[in-house]
Amino acid sequence: MNATSGNGFAPWLADDGPAADTGLAWLDSRRAQARAQVHDQGVPTNKQEAWRYTSLTRLLEQGFTPTAKATPPLESRDLEPLLVPGLEAYRVVLVNGRFAPGLSDLQHLPAGLRVGGLAQILKSDPDALKDRLNGVAGETQPLFAALNTAGLDDGVVVLLERGVQVERPIELIHLSVGMDEPRVAQPRHVVALEAGAQASLIERYVSLGEALYCTNSVLESFLGRDAVLKHQRIQTESANAFHIAGLYLSLGAGSRYQCVNVGLGAAWARTDLNVCFAGEHAECDLQGLYLAGDRQLMDFHLDVDHRLPHCSSRENFKGILYGKGRAVFDGRVYVAKDAQRTDAAMSNRNLLLSEGAEVDTKPQLEINADDVKCSHGTTVGQIEPEQLFYLRSRGISAPLARRMLCLGFAGEILDCLTPEALRDQVAEQVGSRLEQAPID
Amino acid sequence: MLSVKGLKANVGDKEILKGLDLEIGRGEVHAIMGPNGSGKSTLAHVLSGREGYTVTGGSVTFEGQDLLDLEPEARAHLGLFLAFQYPVELPGVNNTYFLKAALNAIRKARGEPELDAVSFLRLMKEKLKVLHLDDSLLKRPVNFGFSGGEKKRNEIFQMAILEPKLAILDETDSGLDIDALRIVADGVNALRSPERSVILVTHYQRLLDYIQPDYVHVLAKGQIIRSGGKELALELEEKGYGWLGAEEAA
Repeated sequence: MNATSGNGFAPWLADDGPAADTGLAWLDSRRAQARAQVHDQGVPTNKQEAWRYTSLTRLLEQGFTPTAKATPPLESRDLEPLLVPGLEAYRVVLVNGRFAPGLSDLQHLPAGLRVGGLAQILKSDPDALKDRLNGVAGETQPLFAALNTAGLDDGVVVLLERGVQVERPIELIHLSVGMDEPRVAQPRHVVALEAGAQASLIERYVSLGEALYCTNSVLESFLGRDAVLKHQRIQTESANAFHIAGLYLSLGAGSRYQCVNVGLGAAWARTDLNVCFAGEHAECDLQGLYLAGDRQLMDFHLDVDHRLPHCSSRENFKGILYGKGRAVFDGRVYVAKDAQRTDAAMSNRNLLLSEGAEVDTKPQLEINADDVKCSHGTTVGQIEPEQLFYLRSRGISAPLARRMLCLGFAGEILDCLTPEALRDQVAEQVGSRLEQAPID
Repeated sequence: MLSVKGLKANVGDKEILKGLDLEIGRGEVHAIMGPNGSGKSTLAHVLSGREGYTVTGGSVTFEGQDLLDLEPEARAHLGLFLAFQYPVELPGVNNTYFLKAALNAIRKARGEPELDAVSFLRLMKEKLKVLHLDDSLLKRPVNFGFSGGEKKRNEIFQMAILEPKLAILDETDSGLDIDALRIVADGVNALRSPERSVILVTHYQRLLDYIQPDYVHVLAKGQIIRSGGKELALELEEKGYGWLGAEEAA
């Protein structure tokens, strides 16, 4: 693939799409800048480190165009089968990237918590977003973030005021529905917690049927001093979907951020987690579990920037691959010269259930300070014959024994999911995926 | 119940069992003793269906069926149980979930109804009590992070839940201090019944101080070279294996 002038992704920004002027000068200028970045960057090739193992050909071939303004008319009962049984949450729903107030459940939000559609808030209170939108995704944003900014239209905003602690999770559902032709939705989210605020955000990507579409979402999150955010991302998109997600986080002093990523769905999925420490003594914990089967690609890129001292980060990702499934794990931890007393540990472990499965794993530590505690490790292995025999000697069939061992491997990450209702549902989804997995 | 006739087995090109005969009746406890390298563990593994062994001759009949023809899980369904010399750690696999899956797989294979969660929990509590085990065992991952003694006790606990017709204890006494040995032996004794047979594979006489066998066999160089009552074990203790011309394998 060659870098082309007149980027092959330009159709994502068709002029009759959501790119029209917003009437906000600051926003229009950021979008124009992003549009220029899209054209200047061209299409990344495997010569670029970030795209060394993942080709964009398959994505480009689909000929995605922006989602039309009108969202399909859906009712609550359409959403019903996609909910997590027993999960009580403040629910905000997007359909094909656009806020769907009729499907959302945002009544009785506690004082100090604001949850709403991005387009609405840009109209009613743009100043709430002016300093945040593109605040961390930044001026040097990579291609898909630039595409998202250039086509910026709708998404979700979550704002927590100083000291507000919300017990009940906030559930953000991205629901995708197949359209007449392959469409791309580019939702943009802003999650900001002021000093001392605490919340739990459950982000779920689901679809109706086996639709072919693309989601290119960007979430920017700002944690103020001592704020605490638990962020759970469950991606179970349709088997034909393309999933691109960029997370950009700014962690204030003493704040704590945990992200549990589960990637099960989509034909082609790429997730970039970018963490930037904006204050000292902040903690970041990134957990991940991915499954990839035939014709499926799971690509996770982590970029943790320890630019300040006394911060800690954990990255723990586990993958199960079967059939001709492929995965990429590219984790980078950067420790700046002045970031003394950094504590960072990164781990990526993979279980390959077939000959044809493949994983490219590349954990990297770039350390420029001398008083730090950093480690990384990576493994690629198969099911241990000893363990399999032990289970079978107790009367358990070989297929069930393999499944039990895979679930045991995944258990460490599944156990990070809360509440139990969510954990149970995801464990069941992982179990049923493994049941379908043909094992050599 | 179990009939082994002229059993020959290889590991790779090396013949380990060289024509072994053994008859076990219902309710009997047999001890199989022998020096290191005599083939004791190989016998236990071949009977339970572990990979890595090639049977080159002889036959094994268990409950009227050709045992060697069956997958390991099918042997368990018939009522065979191996207590491992080195129980395998299964990180992330909960002990309760594991045992419930095992018991229900066996029940299902026998055409019995599966136990629901409540009945199963009741059964577990009852067996824990009989074996004087702590119920923290139920919540932990199978053998993961267990001490040597805990692993052996967990084997006996599994045996109590699965109620096999024939239990093979492969060097269950190895690596146990005297207190742990007593607990394990008490567990085995509590499970003795006229319906259940046991094969104790051991290097040392001391286990037999706690579990009294009906028969003792000496295995050397891949064959049973002497069989007798429990007094044979005492004789071995006194004179060593050399007395029978059964030196440690090189």
